[in-house]
Amino acid sequence: MRAVCWHGENDLRVDTVPRPALVNPKDAVLRVRASTACGSDLHVIDGLIPTMREGDVLGHEFVGEVVETGEAVEETETGQRVVVPSFIGCGACSYCHDDLWSLCDNTNPNAAMQEPVLGDSTAGVYGYTHAFGGYAGSHAEYIRVPHADVNCFEVPDELDDEQALFASDAWPTGYMGADFCDIEDGDTVAVWGCGGVGLMAQESAALMGAEQVIGIDRFPERLEAAREHAGAETIDYTAVDSVVDRLDALTGGRGPDACIDAVGMEAHGTGLAHRYDRAKQEFGLHTDRGEALRQAIRAVRKGGTLSVLGVYGLMDKFPVGVLMNKGITVETAQQHGQRYVPQLLDHVVEGEMDPSYLATHEFSLEDGPTAYRMFKEKEDGMIRPVFKP
Amino acid sequence: MASQHTDRGEREQPADDRTGRSTSGTDTKRRGRAVRGVAGAGLVLYGLGKRSLRGVAAAVAGGWLLLRALRGRSEGGGTGGSGNWTAPREREREPEGAPPEALDVQRSVTVERPAEELYERWRDPETHERVWAHFAEVRAVGEDRQHWTVAGPRGVALEWDAEVVAADPGKFLRWKSLPGARVPNEGSVRFRSRGDAETEVTLHVRFDPPGGRVGSALAERFDLVPDAAAGTALRRFKSLVETGEVPTLEANPSARGAGDLV
Repeated sequence: MRAVCWHGENDLRVDTVPRPALVNPKDAVLRVRASTACGSDLHVIDGLIPTMREGDVLGHEFVGEVVETGEAVEETETGQRVVVPSFIGCGACSYCHDDLWSLCDNTNPNAAMQEPVLGDSTAGVYGYTHAFGGYAGSHAEYIRVPHADVNCFEVPDELDDEQALFASDAWPTGYMGADFCDIEDGDTVAVWGCGGVGLMAQESAALMGAEQVIGIDRFPERLEAAREHAGAETIDYTAVDSVVDRLDALTGGRGPDACIDAVGMEAHGTGLAHRYDRAKQEFGLHTDRGEALRQAIRAVRKGGTLSVLGVYGLMDKFPVGVLMNKGITVETAQQHGQRYVPQLLDHVVEGEMDPSYLATHEFSLEDGPTAYRMFKEKEDGMIRPVFKP
Repeated sequence: MASQHTDRGEREQPADDRTGRSTSGTDTKRRGRAVRGVAGAGLVLYGLGKRSLRGVAAAVAGGWLLLRALRGRSEGGGTGGSGNWTAPREREREPEGAPPEALDVQRSVTVERPAEELYERWRDPETHERVWAHFAEVRAVGEDRQHWTVAGPRGVALEWDAEVVAADPGKFLRWKSLPGARVPNEGSVRFRSRGDAETEVTLHVRFDPPGGRVGSALAERFDLVPDAAAGTALRRFKSLVETGEVPTLEANPSARGAGDLV
């Protein structure tokens, strides 16, 4: 089958690779119907997250049709159209029982690679480095899904693929980020980043009752999407002297009740701090540029919540004194998709939210390298490219 | 994993540096030693370079060959240069386990099952075989005896028999290798209930890697052999018991082909 594969830093190729097969008794094999690129893929493509191997298949956000099921699969059936969260749960460990699916103990075959760094291990993920499991990704014609019964969610017939696709990762990530904020009536939520996850966080926050949502980015089409779909006020950080001052002005001097970082380790910024981060990253002295996160910590009101969705490495410059003195609560996780997918699909069916506008461009797998180049450069107003294998 | 930690525990200092072993004097033997030394060193480098479990096995096997060359030990009752070795049947077979200077590794994991059930599963030969499959082929050769084979590349294998020497059903199990093992080792597993449904499983392994102090230093330096083997064994046990399967990258597609098993 054909697949978009990583061959090195900024070197993607479309290769012919073996078709996946059922291996374990609870596996399913899906024919991929739609698969989208995630901003976190760019960290991998840029070589900032280690343990990719030459030839790895990329992609972790997808909708597919079940074509084979293992002998111990009970509920998932051949022919079903399903959406699958990017982090793989087992459904049987204490973390899955507690709805903390991305912390699953039993789905990462390479857990030992993470332990020296994290002190523990995460669940496995599709197409996202060997430390995160090493499973082949979804930018391919077929994909193997372990523990099919807890990871495959049937898509209601009335939804098209694009309406369900982002319930795989971008939406549950953003939704979880808003859920972390325990939003009450009258709350203001500020979100750094108006890409797929940031837009989903803003819309979800509005859905959960936030009175004021503020989106921060620099790309006009993304700021426009935040205003149009999430009813957000927006800040173009390149057009203001200080994002923190601007947020203060918008919130009566208090600062937002909750700040959500939907940017991650390749943040852009302005000014000295950004240039310092950038220089250190260039020389390999650290993996993260943390300007968005630092702004969020300074901006959030005293006693407020900082919700971190951005993907980071081992950031070595984190203003913990600001957190401590302001009494900030930090909530963070890789997405616990299985906790949210059913209610997200309900939201679409009920007409309360429809994330399909994120799919601005469609490609075949053969165009994989081009699509990622455009995605990285945000060319042509692209928010998310979608591959239709 | 839920509650895992590495506790090397108090490690005793090696009692001696094992000098003064027999040395051989003939040219033939010297040539043999040189060959084994080069092969051993090569395997160590190859194995450590791989940084995978197969690599670890190669490094272990290489360390053994290297040590034999350094010590100038004669072939004894072995099977020549292939590196395969089985304990002679005629020898006294009381389990003796690892010497005091052995490496000492302890790892724990919390499993969502009662202790009694976990004890039974650990004693089930089929489970036991799958738990260690990343490291060794473990074959039951009697109710309380297993034959272990750690395979490296190029036909080098380390083999030994181990026997259960103490058992407290539902709580504890201890095993030791039989005399003559090239990797003298012993281990124990303890099951401690935590509430009604959870159990802390602690695996304690002691072994004397081939190469004596050199091997120990290498193993410690790279922090690979004992931790990787013990930690992964526990993780596999937990996954097998909790989910009925062990996560795997077998047949995993990539542009390298299929399969990413290390």
